[in-house]
This record gives sequence, structure tokens and C-alpha cells, in this order.
Amino acid sequence: MDTSSNVRVGPFEFFLPSHHFAPALARTGDPVYPGRLFIVEGIDGSGKSTQLVLLHKWLESKGYGVVFSEWNSSPLVKDTTKLGKKKKMLTPATFSLVHATDFADRTEKSILPLLKAGAVVLCDRYVYTAFARDVARGMDRRWVRELYHFAVKPTVAFYFRVPLETAIGRITAARDCLKFYEAGMDLGLSDDPVESFRIFQGRILDEYERMVPEFALTVVDATLPVEVQQTQVRQIVRTELEKAKELRVRP
Amino acid sequence: MKLADLAGKLIVIEGTDGAGRTTQINLLKPWLEELGHAVLDTGMTRSPLAGEGIRRAKEGNNLGRVTQSLFYATDFIDRLENEIIPALRAGFVVLTDRYIYSLMARAIVRGVDPAWIRSLYSVALKPDAIFYLRLGVDELIPRVIFSRGFDYWESGMDLYPSHDMFESFCSYQKALLAEFDRLSGEYKFETVDASPDARLVFSFLKARILGVLQNNSQKVHFFRQLPEKKPPMVHSPGIAPLSRATLAGARAELGRQPFPDSSRHGPNGNGHRPGEFAQS
Repeated sequence: MDTSSNVRVGPFEFFLPSHHFAPALARTGDPVYPGRLFIVEGIDGSGKSTQLVLLHKWLESKGYGVVFSEWNSSPLVKDTTKLGKKKKMLTPATFSLVHATDFADRTEKSILPLLKAGAVVLCDRYVYTAFARDVARGMDRRWVRELYHFAVKPTVAFYFRVPLETAIGRITAARDCLKFYEAGMDLGLSDDPVESFRIFQGRILDEYERMVPEFALTVVDATLPVEVQQTQVRQIVRTELEKAKELRVRP
Repeated sequence: MKLADLAGKLIVIEGTDGAGRTTQINLLKPWLEELGHAVLDTGMTRSPLAGEGIRRAKEGNNLGRVTQSLFYATDFIDRLENEIIPALRAGFVVLTDRYIYSLMARAIVRGVDPAWIRSLYSVALKPDAIFYLRLGVDELIPRVIFSRGFDYWESGMDLYPSHDMFESFCSYQKALLAEFDRLSGEYKFETVDASPDARLVFSFLKARILGVLQNNSQKVHFFRQLPEKKPPMVHSPGIAPLSRATLAGARAELGRQPFPDSSRHGPNGNGHRPGEFAQS
């Protein structure tokens, strides 16, 4: 089979003709691998992590073999990212690259093998986080998309849509202070961290909205009560899992 | 960043492991300084950001091919932005021990998509000169045996696992050499026969570099720009990413497609088709 001319794979066929790119890694979950990949996206304070934790609990209670992978968590790359952030050494380009390296390590060592093994994989943040943040930092939109060309396309990508002010209210209520890069302080948008955060998150929100049609993200209204959102999420996940045939059960 | 401000010269010394790159740089640097040029020498894994991380990751021997490519790209871009570009702006001669080409060759022989790796390094600067120190595998072997011995990564053990490191070394270095030869045509390397005495290679390089120093040094990116270190304030229109039209213009200027020969690579294995190197 000539995978390089096969159009079903990846969200990436939208920005490059597939014949340009033979896969860096195999590019899709569904038809090739028995596993299923569900990811959550949204700006800080959108409540996506809460929803993912609830989904995780539910899937485990149903007996599925579930594995959770968090943004920025590769043991191999963590020290480098930490060093760059602590010493404020990161430029938009190296910020983008350390996160891509972290994601690549998790893709190669856990996400991909787990999907091959038939697990349900849950990711808190995925490539769309990088697309939003890196472009908000001024990186070329196309370059960042091509950078993540090796990523596996999720079965469902949930986007928790929330107005900027709601998210900022939730974050500032829950935190004492904002981190340097989190608030986009490296961009020189404002000397005030909260104001910088507001401008930066606004840009990120714009990027997410642009990606909804581009990558067919599944939008969840994150202003609704937690339970209502979770019911919607579970319903969509249930439908996908019923279609799957060879999923692992928990030992 | 105004590329016109980069008055220095970017000189790349490329070649496989053991071709004598470091030896030449150690000869060239004092020579250039004697001539009155300020010199920066740089090389792989020397970035303050990622150098240490890469060394530690390689100790574990469990670095995947995509992760490896991206880790090295992080190291490279950190040095490009924080060392190479500032040095060029200050009028230095930058001597770099390997450049994006080694990183491309290593990734491509490991089966990483050549178009992907080209896109990754599309933000790099085009060098003023690329000297490719070329040495056949047969001549390379004694240099490796009698200096540092075989190394896990230089033997491509991740790619050619074998009980026999020597066998892996030969297969890996042959594949790398073939890829270098291919890149050499595409990116117009100046090939230098690295088999004679180091002093002879040095004389040859000196003559060539004297020529390079007299050339116009207008810099260009391969086809994409990095953002400003401090992007402008939010209300400034200057932050808009390059438009397709600008990119197309840049490509036309460079006289080539962004992904010139990806169609020549198969999707799997090491990305080569049998017999493809017959002419090189």
C-alpha cells in the first residue's frame, strides 16, 4: 500500500498535498491501529482538565485499558524545558522546539505503541496547543503545523470553548501569580502580568477558533455546568468506543 | 531581523564522523585570528539550552528518531539565534563544525521524512560556504579504531542493531555517506578530499576561505524567517506571519522548490530506493 498517496490520514492533508509528505511516523489512529485517542484542548481556565479526569474515571470504571499522557511530561526533555523557562532562555522558536521534542518523545515511546496495543489514550493538550501558542508567539503558522507532522491524528479532539473573561476570572481566582511564559511575558506585550496574560490568551483563543473548522475540532460549550459537559463528552466517546473492535481491557 | 546587517561570514565544515572536521577548525581558527578576523567556532550540542539534555538523553540509548531530530533542532536553533546570528551581526567569521546537513543526513538515514526535516530547517541561514570533507568508509575505519573506538550512536546501533558493532558501523557510515553525497549536489557543497595529510587539506581550505572572505556576504534564509526576538507590540501590524506570496517570492529567489526531491524517497525504510546512488 502506498501510504504517501493515501488521503485519509492526518489532519495535515489540509495544508500540504499528501504526496509531499511520506509519514515521519505513521499518521493516524483509527483505521491502522486498534487503539483510540481522545484529547482535550482549550485555553487555561477552560475546565478541560477537569473534564478529562472525569472521563478517565468513567472509562476505568467501565473496564477499559486507559492511559493518560500530559503535555510537557517527557522525562527525557523535562529538564531542558525547565532550564529554558527558569533562565528565560527560550525564544519563540526554541519554545516551540522543546515542546515539540517533548511531544515527539511521548509519541514515540507511549502514544503510538499504546494505540498499536489497543489502549484508550487520553491527552491533556495536544498539537493544537502548540499551534495556538507558537503562532501567538509569532511563529509561522505553516512551519508549526509541519513541525508536528509526525503526530497521530486523534479519534476525537474536544475543544472547550469559553469566553476570555470567564477563563481569566477562573485562573486569577485560583492562582497567586502567573508564570513568565504562561503570561506571554517573553513577548513584551505589557509589563503587567495579568494584562500580558489577557492579551496573550486572547491571541491563543483566536488561533483555537481558526482551528475549529481547519481540524474539525469537537466544540464543547465550557460555560455549561460540569455535569452537562461531561455527559456530552461521554456520549461522543461511547459512540467511538462502540465502533472499535479490539480494545484492551484492564488487567 | 535585517539580514543585510549580518556582515560576517558563515563557513560550514561538514563531513562524516572522523573526516577531520575538528582538526581543520582548530587549524583555521588561529589562522583567521592571525589575519585579524574575529572568529566564533560552534558545533553540535554546544547550546546552553539543549546540549546537556541531549548528552543525557543519548546515555540512555532510548532516543527515538523523531525526538532525536527535534532535540538537535532545538540545540541548533538556540545556537543560531543566540550565537551565530549575533556573531555575524558583529562581523565575525563563524566556523561551524557541522550544520543542518549532518542533522538532515542522520535523520534521513533513520527513515525520517526528508520533506519534514527540510521544513524544520527552512528557518536556517544559508552559509557563505560549505566545505564537505569527504572520506570513504574504508579510510574512515582506521581513523576511528585508532582514535576513540566505536561509539553506539556513531555506529548507528539504534538503526542497525547487531552483536557486531563494526558491522553496524560500516552499514551506518555507508548510508550516511550516500546521503551526504546526495545532499552535496542539492545544496552545492564544495567537496574536499579528506584523505591526504591534514596540512594539505588545511592549505586547500585556506585558499578557498580567502576567496570567501572577499565575496559579498548578503545572507538569506532557506525560505522562512524566524520571528523577532521581541515581537512588536500587539497593535503593530509587523507581526503578521509571512504570506504565501512572500514565501513563493522567497522560493523563486532561491531558485528551488521547498521540498525539492521528496518524491524520490520511499515512505519507509531508510527512504532510499535501490540503485539510487549508482551515479554518485
